[in-house]
Amino acid sequence: MTLDFGRGALWKIAAMVRVMALDLWRDRGALLMTFLLPPLVFLIFSSVFAGTTGDDIQLKLAVADTARTPDSGRLMAALVASPEVRAERAPTADEVRRRVKAGQADAGLVIRADPASADKPFLIVADPSRAVAAPLAQARVQQVLANALPDVTLRRTVTQLEPALGGFTDEQIENADSAAALMRQTPTHDDGGFFEREAIKNAKTGGGVIAYYAGAVMILFALFSAMQGALGLMDEQSTGVADRLLAGTAGMGPVVSGKFLFLIGQGVVQALLIFATAQIVYGVAVVQHAALWLPTTLAASACAAGVALGLVSVCRTRDQAQMLSTFVILVLAAVGGSMVPRFLMPPWLQAAGWFTPHAWTIEAYQAILWRDAGIGAVYKAWCVLTAVGLLGLALAHVLARRIRR
Amino acid sequence: MTSEPVSPDPVVVVTAVVHAYGGKPALRGVDLRLHPGEIYALLGPNGAGKTTLIRAICGRIRPDGGTVLLKGRDPARVPAARAGLGLVPQEIALYPNLTVAENIETFAALADVPRAGLAAAVRRALELTRTVDRAHVPVKHLSGGYKRRANIAAAIVHEPSLLILDEPTVGVDLDAREAVDTVIRGLRDLGVAVLMTTHDLDQAGALADRVGFLRDGQLVLEGRPKALIAEAFGERMEIQVHLAEEIDAAGESRLAAEGLERTGRPTVWTRLDADGYAVAGRLDKRLREAGLTPREVRVREPSLANLFTLVADRKLAA
Repeated sequence: MTLDFGRGALWKIAAMVRVMALDLWRDRGALLMTFLLPPLVFLIFSSVFAGTTGDDIQLKLAVADTARTPDSGRLMAALVASPEVRAERAPTADEVRRRVKAGQADAGLVIRADPASADKPFLIVADPSRAVAAPLAQARVQQVLANALPDVTLRRTVTQLEPALGGFTDEQIENADSAAALMRQTPTHDDGGFFEREAIKNAKTGGGVIAYYAGAVMILFALFSAMQGALGLMDEQSTGVADRLLAGTAGMGPVVSGKFLFLIGQGVVQALLIFATAQIVYGVAVVQHAALWLPTTLAASACAAGVALGLVSVCRTRDQAQMLSTFVILVLAAVGGSMVPRFLMPPWLQAAGWFTPHAWTIEAYQAILWRDAGIGAVYKAWCVLTAVGLLGLALAHVLARRIRR
Repeated sequence: MTSEPVSPDPVVVVTAVVHAYGGKPALRGVDLRLHPGEIYALLGPNGAGKTTLIRAICGRIRPDGGTVLLKGRDPARVPAARAGLGLVPQEIALYPNLTVAENIETFAALADVPRAGLAAAVRRALELTRTVDRAHVPVKHLSGGYKRRANIAAAIVHEPSLLILDEPTVGVDLDAREAVDTVIRGLRDLGVAVLMTTHDLDQAGALADRVGFLRDGQLVLEGRPKALIAEAFGERMEIQVHLAEEIDAAGESRLAAEGLERTGRPTVWTRLDADGYAVAGRLDKRLREAGLTPREVRVREPSLANLFTLVADRKLAA
């Protein structure tokens, strides 16, 4: 192992960095995979998960009107016209059930009695595997009822109150009817509920989930691409480049160090592209946090490069290395939170996540970009990521000596 | 049998080298000296110990016994001893997406060629290997012959005093082999000591100043190719009988009775005889009478291939 970081050693390392850069530049397929795929996957992930806050979900609702009263018809028409829900007419209750079961609708609604009647006029049909669909459907129907059919709500309330008050006088009934008629003509758009909503002041437009997935995709691809780059060590052995170098004075030291530096650079460029997309598309304040973003990115890239080189060095053949790297990339990504948000995981899996670079990277980026945290919140992640990267590099250097034999 | 050129300053001195892998001997007391401006071909069947000897000379293994010295220094213990060594692996040990010049520049940097002299060193390597016209072509787009020469160029850019070539012409056509041979001769003429392993005995015979036969980890025969052949075969010529088709057991017995031995090809049989042409004529007549009509009968001087067969089959004493 050559750890003589004199000018000669740096010159050799620079020569290997150049080899890696030219090699990638001339392999257009690999170039696209390395630099276009990460922002694309980030956009897909963030588009999917940005919607899970609930406001953007447009529920697909199959609706059957079996009551066939004037008010049930009005409700059906209001649901179909509502932008809050994608309502589709179904001829029968069974058809509603069929569509929900087949996944053609997220939930179903059967209007089985007049909406103003005292019974339970609505039946929500939902698939238990979509737990959120039933309450969401219920809320959307109530919303439409309150907005489009306030008179019906009033009449239903009157009907429910009547037994408790011992009946209404004719005058009271007449007044209620006039009020209902007026409401029907000019709806107040008051849902009559208990809640008023207040948005948090200075809330970020980017959303925590965007910062989360920017970090998650960054470390996922940094490791994936680093593994591909590190596999070059195997090619160097099989093509005789290693033999050539080991017969000279250089040995494999500059090759390993050169790859390490190149892979860090590659990781930083990938991160730049992902976070630039996050800032441009979702307004995540990356530039404003550049001072902490850069060390985080360098540490995460160094970690990915070191882990990849260490793992590939442990293997004896390219096939072995390919298999191990695929396994490690997928498992670390799954446990570390690059695929599914960590807050959705059971506690033991969240704890296990701290044994992956992914969790440290994701948390560090979230702390910086979402919670506006200072250096105190991220220095530990920097240390862990850098230390793991350097350990991997050292292992690769030690194992490169094994090739001599 | 050995007739080494007289030189006071050998580049490589291998003395009584012994090495074993897991108790299985690979080298059993090998001695070898190589001088500047000399081409030495190391021959031997697979498993004879050629690769182990090369690895010992490159400093990749420390022999169990004996010494290997490159210009007086042990390459396994003193990395600087390897500075004057260039290795051309059997595979194309280059980066395929990089051009020939870029590859040579890379290996020049790794071989400590000073930055100031880099361009001149690359130019020299390109010229010596006659690859100037392909300098800016990615290696993956080169023909087999150019790839082989580029492979050599990357190993000579730092002007080594010893060049080791492992099967330098495997898998290339005749023209490409000629071109590689010309490059190797050119390097020899510049004073480079060339050590090559090859299975191409015609190439070894035509190119090498000396050859050495390794068998079971021992150098059993060493010397100038023509001298070795003359000593082994004297005035005898090789008579080759080429049959039109494979023959049955009776036919084989008949050929054996004529003193012919089967070669690697079942339709080609051979024997050695001092009175080659006269014997060939009589042999042809007798075989025709026996119904074994030869397609062709050749008479030629024995080659290294004949010698190799004798050594490999242990018909020639060490």
